[in-house]
Amino acid sequence: MSARAEGTAAALPPIAIPRRRRRIRGSSIAVFVFLTMVALFVAIPLYVVVVTSFKPIEEITLGEIFNLPVRWTIQPWMKAWNELCTGLACDGIKQGFFNSVAILFPSLVLSIAISSVTGYALALWNVRWANGFLFVLFICAFVPFQIIMIPLIIIVASLGIFGTVWAIALVHAVLSMPLLTLIFRNFYKDIPRELINAAIMDSGSFWRIFREIVLPMSGNIMVVVLILMITTVWNDYLVGLTFGGISAKPMTVILANSVITSRGEAIYNVNMAAALLTAVPPLVVYFALGRFFVQGITSGAIKG
Amino acid sequence: MALRWSWAAPRIALVPALAITLVGFAGSIGWTIFQSFTQSRRFPDYVIDPARWLSQYERLFANETWWTALQNLLVLAIGSALAIVFGFILAALVEREKFGEGVFRTILLYPLAVSLIVTGLVWRWIFNPSLGVEAFLRANGFPDASFNWLAAPETAMYGIILASIWHGLGFYMALMLAGLKSINTEIWSAARLDGVGVMRLYVEIIVPMMKFTFLTCAILLSLGVVKAYDIVVAMTNGGPGTSTWTPAYFAINAYSTRSNIGFASAAAVIMLLITLAIFLPLVVITAWQARRSEQVRG
Amino acid sequence: MPDVRFEHIVKRFGTLSVLEDLNLTVADGEFLVLLGPSGCGKTTLLNLLAGLLDVTGGRITIGERDVTELDPSQRGLAMVFQSYALYPTKTVEGNLRFGLAAQKLDRAEIDRRVAWAAQLLQLERMMSRKPSQLSGGQRQRVAIGRALVKHAGVLLFDEPLSNLDAKLRTEMRLEIKKLHQALHQTIVYVTHDQIEAMTMATRIAVMDQGVIQQIGTPDEIYERPANLFVARFIGSPAINTFDATLAIEGDRVLARHAPTGIAIDLTRHAFGRRPEAGAPVVIGLRPEHFAVDGAVREDDAVRLSLPVRYSERTGSDATAFLEAGDQLVAIRIEPSLMPSLRIGEAMNASFPGEKLSVFDARSGLRM
Repeated sequence: MSARAEGTAAALPPIAIPRRRRRIRGSSIAVFVFLTMVALFVAIPLYVVVVTSFKPIEEITLGEIFNLPVRWTIQPWMKAWNELCTGLACDGIKQGFFNSVAILFPSLVLSIAISSVTGYALALWNVRWANGFLFVLFICAFVPFQIIMIPLIIIVASLGIFGTVWAIALVHAVLSMPLLTLIFRNFYKDIPRELINAAIMDSGSFWRIFREIVLPMSGNIMVVVLILMITTVWNDYLVGLTFGGISAKPMTVILANSVITSRGEAIYNVNMAAALLTAVPPLVVYFALGRFFVQGITSGAIKG
Repeated sequence: MALRWSWAAPRIALVPALAITLVGFAGSIGWTIFQSFTQSRRFPDYVIDPARWLSQYERLFANETWWTALQNLLVLAIGSALAIVFGFILAALVEREKFGEGVFRTILLYPLAVSLIVTGLVWRWIFNPSLGVEAFLRANGFPDASFNWLAAPETAMYGIILASIWHGLGFYMALMLAGLKSINTEIWSAARLDGVGVMRLYVEIIVPMMKFTFLTCAILLSLGVVKAYDIVVAMTNGGPGTSTWTPAYFAINAYSTRSNIGFASAAAVIMLLITLAIFLPLVVITAWQARRSEQVRG
Repeated sequence: MPDVRFEHIVKRFGTLSVLEDLNLTVADGEFLVLLGPSGCGKTTLLNLLAGLLDVTGGRITIGERDVTELDPSQRGLAMVFQSYALYPTKTVEGNLRFGLAAQKLDRAEIDRRVAWAAQLLQLERMMSRKPSQLSGGQRQRVAIGRALVKHAGVLLFDEPLSNLDAKLRTEMRLEIKKLHQALHQTIVYVTHDQIEAMTMATRIAVMDQGVIQQIGTPDEIYERPANLFVARFIGSPAINTFDATLAIEGDRVLARHAPTGIAIDLTRHAFGRRPEAGAPVVIGLRPEHFAVDGAVREDDAVRLSLPVRYSERTGSDATAFLEAGDQLVAIRIEPSLMPSLRIGEAMNASFPGEKLSVFDARSGLRM
């Protein structure tokens, strides 16, 4: 009844004719080679730093930068953590690590709290001048830091917190507010207005709707923003340098000071270990949450 | 009429953001612009001398290092633009061949998680003449190899460009991949049925379709270049001499080393103007597109 | 114009088998519609023919050529896509020219073909516009034009009308049909819309779960469905089906519907094989073949007198739903009868024996 055997096909034996179509084209091989070379270009610096940080200094002076350590040692890592010198003090990079952690958490809380609420208000509540304000934020997100640096120093100094981790966290919150607000707003504006209208009808207040309806829907965007902020704050150098004074320097500043500006004899393996220690936290975030990471880094970029 | 809470609450919630915008951004920018017209040195001066209100700018543009910085800005922008070109090529290859996209993207994007300070340090190590790649090449059959770019004023910027490309390549590839994936798959099928050659397809169809992605990339790259500071500090700290200074480096230096608020402000204002000049086309194009889409609808 | 043959086609995606040993011949100049619910494999089959997917096993020939291993552009086909897939950065004219230029045709020939297609499809006035400035129907015409200028022997359509509104769809249906009558190209057309299939096709292949359930002219498919799936898939309102048991009384063959006791006389039905007493069957009755009230004929296969449950009017037609046990019987009636219908009152109807379909309840196949 069905058309399984129809026309001339019926004359052929009813078995499938096997096909081998997996032709590997020459161009595919060329592309593969090219991509591999690019991947090597990107991967090799990390490899070089890792092997250097595990080599004793005698092996480094041989100049074979790509060789694996003959004798593996974690001595450089210990020294970087405990004894790295900046100027005259040799307290290691550990103080910088603790400072960076102390900066990171208030920065995250402050910036996400302000930006998410602002984004929510602008996206879902009828604020007449919302579009104008968004445009201003869009410009603010991209102005160079130097144009507001000096007044911010004066403001922070007058608040009496200059040279503390709080100053750095506050400035991070200010600097990141425009971009994060735009990201939150773009996410929240896709929440159907009917949902909010229904919630208002059910006598929900502004804050209650935020807490009970909007926040629970924000899981994804929170992860994205967290990754973006952790990377930004941890990797920042300029804000930490400008507002950290002497006692609140983040890890990047201590690293840069000890390696770049100090005049002593360079201890390369210790320097590389210190650089790795500084790079590890965001790298861990990256390798653990790669998919969100890409989204986080690009979401700030494309939408707007 | 009584003040309704549902009217007031969202506006109260906006107060912190408004305060930041007004004080942290608008006010601060205004203050800096004002200062650039004064004779402020270590401490801010609040008087503009009508006869000398442009003197900071005159000094700035009479400064040879400032011109070096502007020139470096251009060199860095053009050089880093290679990251966009390569990013597109890589995205196109990865998208086409379909293999190893995940692995390849993971490898290419990790530099983005690394701070520019660490990036600069790492490359400084690779460029190290006696222990880095140059030494390796010379020891392994290339006695004339020269990779000591950072030591010479003529080549130091290329070193910074190389490190910048290394850092940003994955980012631009990710943006380009997103752009390529947003293209209707039936377009590719139609082109295959038409027997359109690969080059022709990309040049005549795909690249024009992605012009907005390219524009976004170009603007982000330019803005990044204007802000280039960390990478310069980490790789060369402006040297040799002042050969790798950028406007961002110049402005910070004018404040922190020369303690000259008026001078630093003038440099920062020029940076702002450059940023706005980069931004303007985006705003114009966005507005133009919005108007055109309205016309089509209407 | 060439014919198209699929021989023993197998297509698997990993372990998921979409098509297994499918055979199909599309005759020269034929308008074949592949019709089926979504996921039935019809679009896969079309993409295999286009070369956008590779077969796992089997052979595809177009005319005398085995095209199984060829690239899409070498197969001598043109295709119209569901989303039109116009090149958005090119004008209408650019879209028509692009594929031809890629074939390295000489300029005069390209000009001639583009002018021909533009005139045929009334595209002249929009040649310099971009696709984004066209309406859906205009884009559709450009997409068809882009396929026609290639002068390909075989034209493929992948649900081309599904993005259009109802009125445009009717117009385009007619337009495509006229094109086929004028150009006599071999057309393979994929759709899930039975109206499109019934109105345009010279033959329809109804597919389900990767198997061609029936292939035939629209009339054959509609009046003599090969199995229950085809019977139920085609027709709106859907065919009425009754589960019944065969009984043989002398030279009469009856089918009894147990819940209501309705007996259907199958004596005039042309059985494909000898009916057996006691065999479970499904009787299919198309709503429009019923005669009602004054038109009821004494010698029809079945006469019903059932209470009206409700009725609905769909434009030029009206349907009455009668209650038969726990199921409803849909009967097409003249809209003029609508006002005289009373809910709950009995209505008389009869069905002619030569129009009904009998299916084996176990295999679902026509008897």
